[in-house]
Amino acid sequence: MKRGLGVLVAALAASSISAQTIRPVANAAVVTARVRSELPAGTEELSGTALRGTGAVAFGRFHLLASYLQGSVQPDGGAGQSRDLAEGTVLLGAVPFKWLTLETGPYARAYSTPGATTQRWVFWELRARAAGAFIGSAVHGYAELWRALTADVNVPEPFDHAEGGEAGMIVRLARSPLEGRLAYRIDHVVLGGGSRTETVDGVIIGIGVAWR
Amino acid sequence: MKRHVAWLCALACAAGAAPSRGQAQTADTLFATGVRAYKNLEFDLAASLLRRDLARRNVAAVPVAERARGLAYLGAAEWFRGRRDSAVVVFRRLVMLDPRYRPDRLIFPPEVTSAFDAVRLQTKTALIVLPGDTAVVLGTTLYRFWIVVSSFQQIDVSLRYEDGAPFRPLYVGPVGDSLDMSWDGLDAAGGPPAVSRMVLRVLSRAPTGELASIVQVPLAVTLVPADTLPWPPGPAASDLLPERADGAAAKRALLGGLLVSSAVLVLPAVVGESDTPSEPRVAVAGTIGLATALGFILHRPGRPLPDNVRANQAQRDAWQQRIASVTAENARRRRDVRLTVRGGEPTTIQPRGP
Repeated sequence: MKRGLGVLVAALAASSISAQTIRPVANAAVVTARVRSELPAGTEELSGTALRGTGAVAFGRFHLLASYLQGSVQPDGGAGQSRDLAEGTVLLGAVPFKWLTLETGPYARAYSTPGATTQRWVFWELRARAAGAFIGSAVHGYAELWRALTADVNVPEPFDHAEGGEAGMIVRLARSPLEGRLAYRIDHVVLGGGSRTETVDGVIIGIGVAWR
Repeated sequence: MKRHVAWLCALACAAGAAPSRGQAQTADTLFATGVRAYKNLEFDLAASLLRRDLARRNVAAVPVAERARGLAYLGAAEWFRGRRDSAVVVFRRLVMLDPRYRPDRLIFPPEVTSAFDAVRLQTKTALIVLPGDTAVVLGTTLYRFWIVVSSFQQIDVSLRYEDGAPFRPLYVGPVGDSLDMSWDGLDAAGGPPAVSRMVLRVLSRAPTGELASIVQVPLAVTLVPADTLPWPPGPAASDLLPERADGAAAKRALLGGLLVSSAVLVLPAVVGESDTPSEPRVAVAGTIGLATALGFILHRPGRPLPDNVRANQAQRDAWQQRIASVTAENARRRRDVRLTVRGGEPTTIQPRGP
């Protein structure tokens, strides 16, 4: 298994050397976030908006991506305290095929409530994204799935598993680095054998620049 | 007796086995003997031998220069025999044969050369000197030839059809010694010749205007049109881009949009969450669906593809330019028609006897 992975990485590295062009990508997005926490004591739902910034540098078939999201969510119905939501990821990616991207790296999320302990969730993820143009060369569609390999969570329940995904489209203007994005994302974390679930989903509307 | 008959037969066969060689030797012997007799002042014998020699040489294909030498010795022999009229006739034959001929003044005494010059001045004839097979570009380059006359005279140079009808007059006027002539390959109307055979004729006239001699040479002419370039082939169908969209792009837009919309709708179920509200997903999926519909319309089958139309038009324009250049080149080549001219054996006609 390790030998096969090594061969794959070596092949990708060899092909990336022949295309040594650094391509930066940056985009900003408004994310409508909705948090749903199901606890044995009851279900808590919060929603709000957040801003997400993403930057990436691609080198051949590899890239390094970092993103940061911050916003606040309020309880639906107005009762209860709002929470500050922050997320950050650092992912190292590879493109084995033109339509497939594999990424791995840490993903951290924090909920902070005034006067309460901040919940910290740290996952090591493995992501796979399939993408391709479907309206001419201007509109690309993509679908992404990720799964946590390991997690470190400061909540009483033990971590069970976490999965998530994102799907949407990217509109690229002809002969321009500008691009627009519309997508739907969801993260779903299960703890304590299903006694507690945390779900975050929302719509991403963003614009960015990508030098290709 | 039989042995004698057989020996005579063998001798006869041997003698008949090489008749031409024997004839040549006889001719050479006659000429040499005649010249020797002339030098020994035996003019009667010389005249007799040289006449026999010339009679043989006339039937054989003998070079003009050798026949002229024989005539010169014969004329001189006749002159010294006192037969001046015969000498004049022989000298006239010599002038008619080769107007350029001049007796060697180291061999023949002044009275002979003077007599010859007198005959030459009175004899009006011409010699046409043609080049070998020649190709000329019609109306551009010239077919050149040379006319040498025996003495000052009026000549009329013309090209004629085989039946004698005039084809094109070339020169009418006086000539003292010789004249360089040329023909541009065209007929009197400035067109290419419509026949493959014609005659170059030179009429010599006496000072009184009477016709003195006619020299003519048959000419075989051949029009050789230049090879024209073939038309350049048009753009092959495989080189042209489709100018109308096929259904592939529209199908891809439809299927891709359907796939992405479906992925958005089923994403919660894939990650194990089924209680999320559907509005955000439906909103995103619906927007993607609208984009898909727009993409399908933009890439509908049969819509014009302007980029491809422009690229194909550029190919067709380039082809038209090649056609135009080939047309111009072919027009130039058609104007560049060549005419090959081959001269035949000259013949001399004397309308009047000496």
